[in-house]
Amino acid sequence: MNTLKTVGHPTSRIDALKRVTGGATYTGDIQMPGMLYARVLRSPHPHANIRKIDLSKALALPGVKTILTHENCDIVWSSGDTRNKRFLFNNPVRFAGDAVAAVAAVNRHIAEEACRLIEVDYETLPFVLDQEDALKPGAPEIQAGGNLSPNNQGKREPDTNIRGSIEKGLSEADHVLSDEYRSVHVNNAQMEIRASLAHWEGDKLIVHASTQGISNCRTDVAKDMKIPPEKVEVISLFMGGGFGNKNQCHDFDLMAAELSKRAAAPVKVEFTRKEDFTAVHGRWPTKQYYKVGFKKDGTLTALQMRAFSGMGPYRKGAGDISGMEVYQCPNVERTVSTVHTNMAVSANFRAPAYPQGVFGIESLMDDVAASLKMDPLEFRLKNMTREFRDTQAYTSNGLEQCLRQGAERFEWKKRWRTPASDTGPIKRGVGMGMGMFPSSLGRSMAILRVDSSGTYHLHVGVTDCGTAAKTTMALIAAEALDVPLAKVQVVWGDTDTCPYSVGESGSRTTVMTGQAVVDAAKDLKNQIATKGMPKGNDMLTATADSNPVLRDAARYAFVAHFAEVEVDTETGRVHVTKFVAAHDSGRIINPLTAESQVKGGATTGIGMALHEELLYDRRTGLPLTAGYYGARIMTHMDAPDVEVIFVQTDDAYGPFGAKTLGEPTIIPTVAAVANAFFNATGKRIKDLPMTRDKVLGVLA
Amino acid sequence: MSKISRRHFVEGTGAGLVAATVIPLKAQQGSAPAAVEPTQTDPSVPRTTIKLTVNGVERRVEVEDRWTLVELLRDHLKLTGTKIGCDRGECGACTVMVDGKSVYSCSQLAVWMDGRSVLTVEGLAKDGKLDPLQEAFIEHDGPQCGYCTSGQLMSAKALLTHNQHPTRDEVRAGMTGNICRCSNYNHYVESVLAAAGRQA
Repeated sequence: MNTLKTVGHPTSRIDALKRVTGGATYTGDIQMPGMLYARVLRSPHPHANIRKIDLSKALALPGVKTILTHENCDIVWSSGDTRNKRFLFNNPVRFAGDAVAAVAAVNRHIAEEACRLIEVDYETLPFVLDQEDALKPGAPEIQAGGNLSPNNQGKREPDTNIRGSIEKGLSEADHVLSDEYRSVHVNNAQMEIRASLAHWEGDKLIVHASTQGISNCRTDVAKDMKIPPEKVEVISLFMGGGFGNKNQCHDFDLMAAELSKRAAAPVKVEFTRKEDFTAVHGRWPTKQYYKVGFKKDGTLTALQMRAFSGMGPYRKGAGDISGMEVYQCPNVERTVSTVHTNMAVSANFRAPAYPQGVFGIESLMDDVAASLKMDPLEFRLKNMTREFRDTQAYTSNGLEQCLRQGAERFEWKKRWRTPASDTGPIKRGVGMGMGMFPSSLGRSMAILRVDSSGTYHLHVGVTDCGTAAKTTMALIAAEALDVPLAKVQVVWGDTDTCPYSVGESGSRTTVMTGQAVVDAAKDLKNQIATKGMPKGNDMLTATADSNPVLRDAARYAFVAHFAEVEVDTETGRVHVTKFVAAHDSGRIINPLTAESQVKGGATTGIGMALHEELLYDRRTGLPLTAGYYGARIMTHMDAPDVEVIFVQTDDAYGPFGAKTLGEPTIIPTVAAVANAFFNATGKRIKDLPMTRDKVLGVLA
Repeated sequence: MSKISRRHFVEGTGAGLVAATVIPLKAQQGSAPAAVEPTQTDPSVPRTTIKLTVNGVERRVEVEDRWTLVELLRDHLKLTGTKIGCDRGECGACTVMVDGKSVYSCSQLAVWMDGRSVLTVEGLAKDGKLDPLQEAFIEHDGPQCGYCTSGQLMSAKALLTHNQHPTRDEVRAGMTGNICRCSNYNHYVESVLAAAGRQA
């Protein structure tokens, strides 16, 4: 790959100074004169009818301005459920944490006190937490029509993909292996506490949101508030992470907008951390059943998965389970049922469908390799996807280099031994996992202006949720314009000043918005070439509305992770002692921030493998671990040093050949850790997370 | 949902300390260099005037007894660099230094700060020059989303104040009360080690 002038060199974020001096203003930091504070009252029951709500004591509290409940507010939160009608406030309430009322008051203490004074008469209903139990006859019906949520075709059937014939594949196999795996609900747990500040200027609604996509947020707010999009301005200048749980507009944006309208004052809605864990969403829990047929030499002949995803009571996410596609096999069947339960809502969390699915398939493949006494690396090199995704050819595929270079850096050949080789109480082992993630092309926009001082103003609708999107866009612009980075000023995070951007979800910003930046820069360079640089008050402007289409090809990012663990067989403690992450994300625009993405994603994945869980009390239907301590989120002490390798394939698509990066970073991590545990102990944990009780259980 | 909020819990357990540390208003006024700064207090709840130093500047403010330190800093002194991540002593986003030690400002009542000296992220740079930690955080890409960064900086500052040349593991241990969900722990540790080297 050729070397470029600006792109591809480690560069500090263009807004880093603000981030280290306290100068970065997040939504919760904004105060307005006369601003009210809002708090939300939530259901203490997993499933209940609301018979009556008595607001009299709360409304009598001095300082209370407005209270919304299902009795006086019928706003539909459309992006909160894509299949059923989900209101801001629902009756019945369908999970512990479902919103019952929102109170706006002159300060947050009064708003909190008012929530305590609201009297709600509940009629509790039977509830169900497990997605397979929810499909059994006689299970409590959570949504009208049944607990099996409609599939992508709108039918109440599982989503099914079949290629070839499983029966044929199994009949050709020398061996058949079946197994089952379970993953749990883990929370995104982004650091920024949830806040939205809304106010009205006449009939125009201004929302200071904490969103991963200002354009999509504006569309959603306008739709649900029933006003034209041009009457909504969404601003998100700094935001404190989301990992998928701030993709669209959220109920708190709509609550702030409606409370502000009724109280005729700016309103800031704030959620507590407990609400963030229970009432927004986390990763969908899954149960996966596999059957694999294979030949004596390790060739796969059939691969079948039947799985169940627990979506909570509302269908906010896709519920998909991915991972099998990284293996080449002629006969494949994949069936996923998306099921309503009375647990917390499940939806997007960094590579939503992947780490749990890859945990399943990669655990199974590790067992297949072990049953044949094959080196897991050789087994993967033999069976990995190479040329085609189903029938479409890859634009580029660096997976083999990821496996080979990663294994070399990790010293795989030296470290891998037959399972359970250590005889003492401390056992070491190594494992690997591999994966892929779409790196599609698509629509996004950019505006580029140059003034007579030679400053280039780049307008892009990114919010920069931590990915360094602003810096990435500036680097791409500087490279495409052939000007120094310092000459590029980025305008971002406000729908009134920025054109449509795809939003920081699906790891699409670098590829899609980045392509629009390249296209705008080309246009502007042409204008400068014909008209010359602007003088005085003149300005040249280029607008790109890019929507490149990939014809009959598959574009993917690829990844392989390698982990070494140390298992203390006396205490059940598992510690990751070495970790190598090898990624094919095409050209890396900024190696410094790209490394941050990889190290962060892998570290989060280690937490998912070893200890994170929103645990529920099966008797009461209430969440038990809603918080950083309880859910056992990764800390400094838990995080190993992650070594990063970038395999930079060039497929000539995307800005300077960039592919997707943010989400692949967590895809094979859980599997690599789980496989390392197997290699250390000879035992396999098939039920995430691999907590000490389970470790001691399988070793007993 | 729980009927007891973190704020009520702090108030409840801290009642004895509050009584012990509040200096009578008259005694303070005798030595007060400045007028009491206006804050938006609710006249119906107990209030106390306190004198504290914030980022080197002595300030006299009237606080509601139920306010936490982070509430005072963010909502009333407009020092919003200090963040709230959990408001219950779990995440460290609100870490500031009080009299040279790192504390969670969500778990301290504002009235306890009477006579104390508070350092926030806004006070790290001196005379327009960044602290070596801030420089290292920029160079090593410590902040991703940046929301935990102020807390990480203040924990690191407290660590380096007491241990100028920490090992990698000492940095991890010293900062383990500061969660980063972007999980950029590697780069935070690199930043602190680099800053420690620069200080020497």
